[in-house]
Amino acid sequence: MPGLEYLIDALTPINLAFALLGVIAGTVIGAIPGLTATMSVAVLVPLTFAMPTSSALILMGAIYTGAIYGGAYSAILLNTPGTPSAIATTFDGYPLAKKGEGNFAITIACLASVTGGLIGAVALLTLAPPLSKVALAFGPVEYFWLAIFGLTLIAALAEGSLLKGIAGGALGLLLSCIGVAEVAGDVRLTFGFHTMLGGIQIVVALIGLYCIPVLIDLVAAPGHHLNVVTGASGYRLRDAVRYLWGDKFNAMRSSVIGTIVGILPGAGGSIASLVAYSEARRTARPGQIYGKGEPGGIVASESANNATVGGGFIPTLVLGIPGTPPDAVILGALLVQGVRTGPSLFTQQGDIVYTFIWGLILATILMLPTGLLIGRYAYRTIITLPKSLLVPTIAFMTIIGSYAISNNINDVLIMIVLGAGGWVLARFGFTPSPIVLGLILGPIAESGFVQAWTIGTATDDRMGMFFGRPISIAIILFTLFTLLSPIVLKRLKRIKEQAHVD
Amino acid sequence: MTTTRRTLLLSGAAVAFAASIGLAAQPASAEYPEKPISYIIPFGPGGESDITARLQQPFFKEKFGQDLVISYKPGAGGAVGWAELNNLKGDGYTIMGVNLPHIVLQPQQKDVGYQTDDVTMVYWFHYTPDAIVVTDDSPFKTLKDLIDFAKANPAKMIFSGSGKGTAPHLAQIRFDKLAGVKTTYVPFKGTGASVAALMGKQVTAAMAFTTVAANYEKTRLLAVAMDKRHPRFPDVPTFKEAGIDIVSGAYRGIAVPKSTPEPIRQKLAKMIGEINADPAFVKKMEDGGFAPVDYAYGPAATKFLSDFGKVVTESAKEAGMLK
Amino acid sequence: MSTEARKDTGGAIVAAILIGVACLVLWDTTSYVDSDSAVFPRTFSGVLITASAAYIVVWLFGRGEQLSITESGSTIRRLLLITIMIAGTLAMPWIGFIPASLPVFAALTLVAMYDPWTKFRLIVYPIIGTAIVLGFYYLFSKALLVPLPTAELF
Repeated sequence: MPGLEYLIDALTPINLAFALLGVIAGTVIGAIPGLTATMSVAVLVPLTFAMPTSSALILMGAIYTGAIYGGAYSAILLNTPGTPSAIATTFDGYPLAKKGEGNFAITIACLASVTGGLIGAVALLTLAPPLSKVALAFGPVEYFWLAIFGLTLIAALAEGSLLKGIAGGALGLLLSCIGVAEVAGDVRLTFGFHTMLGGIQIVVALIGLYCIPVLIDLVAAPGHHLNVVTGASGYRLRDAVRYLWGDKFNAMRSSVIGTIVGILPGAGGSIASLVAYSEARRTARPGQIYGKGEPGGIVASESANNATVGGGFIPTLVLGIPGTPPDAVILGALLVQGVRTGPSLFTQQGDIVYTFIWGLILATILMLPTGLLIGRYAYRTIITLPKSLLVPTIAFMTIIGSYAISNNINDVLIMIVLGAGGWVLARFGFTPSPIVLGLILGPIAESGFVQAWTIGTATDDRMGMFFGRPISIAIILFTLFTLLSPIVLKRLKRIKEQAHVD
Repeated sequence: MTTTRRTLLLSGAAVAFAASIGLAAQPASAEYPEKPISYIIPFGPGGESDITARLQQPFFKEKFGQDLVISYKPGAGGAVGWAELNNLKGDGYTIMGVNLPHIVLQPQQKDVGYQTDDVTMVYWFHYTPDAIVVTDDSPFKTLKDLIDFAKANPAKMIFSGSGKGTAPHLAQIRFDKLAGVKTTYVPFKGTGASVAALMGKQVTAAMAFTTVAANYEKTRLLAVAMDKRHPRFPDVPTFKEAGIDIVSGAYRGIAVPKSTPEPIRQKLAKMIGEINADPAFVKKMEDGGFAPVDYAYGPAATKFLSDFGKVVTESAKEAGMLK
Repeated sequence: MSTEARKDTGGAIVAAILIGVACLVLWDTTSYVDSDSAVFPRTFSGVLITASAAYIVVWLFGRGEQLSITESGSTIRRLLLITIMIAGTLAMPWIGFIPASLPVFAALTLVAMYDPWTKFRLIVYPIIGTAIVLGFYYLFSKALLVPLPTAELF
């Protein structure tokens, strides 16, 4: 392994303490909807001026990875992704918790996160320079097709009517257009309201569309928030390990997806978890029912999003192009300290880079005991807190959390209104997930499309731009395969059954 | 005994009197700053404006003994923050970062909740000069190579840049006009993304900033939009040397709420000026590719803004971004 | 074909409203200066109109989706929850963060209360509520440096 000699440097008491503290703080911060990894890393920047660069990096990396994992808690227990990366964790995590298996779900999430985190970090340690080329191979048109691929997940996520799912997705895409356009000069769909100028922040929409409906239904009836299965208490570590071992292909595949998507500067943890979830769902074994509380969904989402941490550092450190938003903050801190990132960073300042990577690996391993412990505490709190305290606490968290995203009270109002609207829509069969998918993928699809169209027009080769590039063709074929394979399989099965009958 | 006591009493009264007069004449600014100052960046963390503020942070603390506490109020390309500026407390403990051409163009494009004149500027402290960036293996060795190619292949010279109606976009428009060429501009979300597109060979060149060449290996500059060459890149010519009159970039400054008293505005301007004059700070800025400027509170800042505004508005109108 | 046979009339009404929303978007796109800004909203307004219209046709043929959701629980409490949250948020910039949060917390406790008030609960709940509000206040404003709203009135 490269840089093994720096493992010792990472093991100094101060670095170990930073790794541990960082993971704990990160987990707690990530669990609170609205507090994102980006924000918590940004708060630390001034502190890092006064410490050695590698220690500062370890602290920020540990917080970052902890926060990505912590997002799973609220996803599982409250149906609200604590960070956008945990969005796919809600799909199966919350149903599982509803069934009374919240503790099992949280332990699975912890194991999957550590697995994904380690695979991402090892990729960073061993393959960073070659893998960084992936970041550059993805042009506008590839991002466009990737977003389109993500949108096909609507077909799987729409419970009930597919038409309603498509309508919801289109609504989400339109909502993402509100405000100042990202790559064009106009102010769109504000209808004269200044409050809408900033547009709808994804985190604000996530809190509103996922958490407010839970609150609305929580307050309406006297029953418990989550069921508790008697006799299945404790960490259920043994069950979780057994499940994960049985689902190891899913975990590996999702971690690789997470690493690769993390490398792409235009994507991020939410896309990684969605793509990994979609793959897990497509390849479900008989008996696995995704969307109804299948632990495999948590494995896919959580291993993928933690793998983006290591993956995201690859273009950040090798090219100076941040892979994810928290990476941008870390990169800024490095620039202020006078550390220039780039290919020579690995050769000329290997001590900083490799000490940091080992620190990140240590932090990820430390996440196992701390994550289990904090997770148990979070679960206990949620199930023992009486409803009359749980409701105001969650409501208060949604308010302060959506405020803190951009320190703007308008965002809180948008969050509540979206939430109430989402609840009403859901009553009529328009579920929130397609809307959220549209919101997340809209900007990526739009800017990719506009850029590719502009370049294609300039080179007089629009067709070649959209359908002639190898990676694009691969994504298009894969999209078609994902969309059509269930139909074809069903057809084949029917033919086979008929053959049996005859 | 009695006399000393009387003197003491008298002098005590005199001190108190003097102090009260002093307070009335210069409210709070005598000791300003006496607590941390909140520095609001109207963009998200990790962006160029954030990094700028982070560079100022340690120097401010060292010189004036108080912290600059950075917080963010992102949204609508900064407009959300600037629209809020005059509602904030004007006691000198809240300041906000300001960017050009944003505050000139945004209010002209649509009602964004503030007018350019609503922003009380205290100091314009630096700019990141526009520059044409290519990868180090690019066939274009000089600006002339690029212009020749652009002349021979209308629209096939493709620039990536950060956003529309931004400094790089306006520079590209001016470049087309003054060099007599027609190029294509592809907007990306932020400078980082536009450089990624350049490195990935999705575009032929990037209309970006001098800071890019300072931060990214494997890139080089063909020309910079400055009056004189940048000290960090003495070999890179200016546009002016090629007969193309472009001196532009993304300017940054600091504003205060309108209710901030005059003495504090001046004191603040003096303080920022002191940081800007510190040789260690200048070195750091130049190493990072920035170009310090000094348009302080008063006529200097006002004149600069109105001159700059005219040029920018004209370019934006030519591009069809303004009616 | 009788009206009773048509399932999910509510869903069809929502679909009709969404068509209206899409038309509003189309109208907004006519004011854009930059043609690049209009491509996406127009395309997806089209998709929204098509999908919604198709659903209405499906409904007309009596093949609407059978929804299993049954209306249950207290509508008053639901409305109170949303009203209190919005009121608290609107009050925050005027009276400050903590003075707005404490009453919101207390009111929501009352709205979500299904158990009888015992002496224990009367004493302990307010203490826990205050502790949670203050705890979050310190976490956000002091540790994470979030500039929380301060009172404009005082």
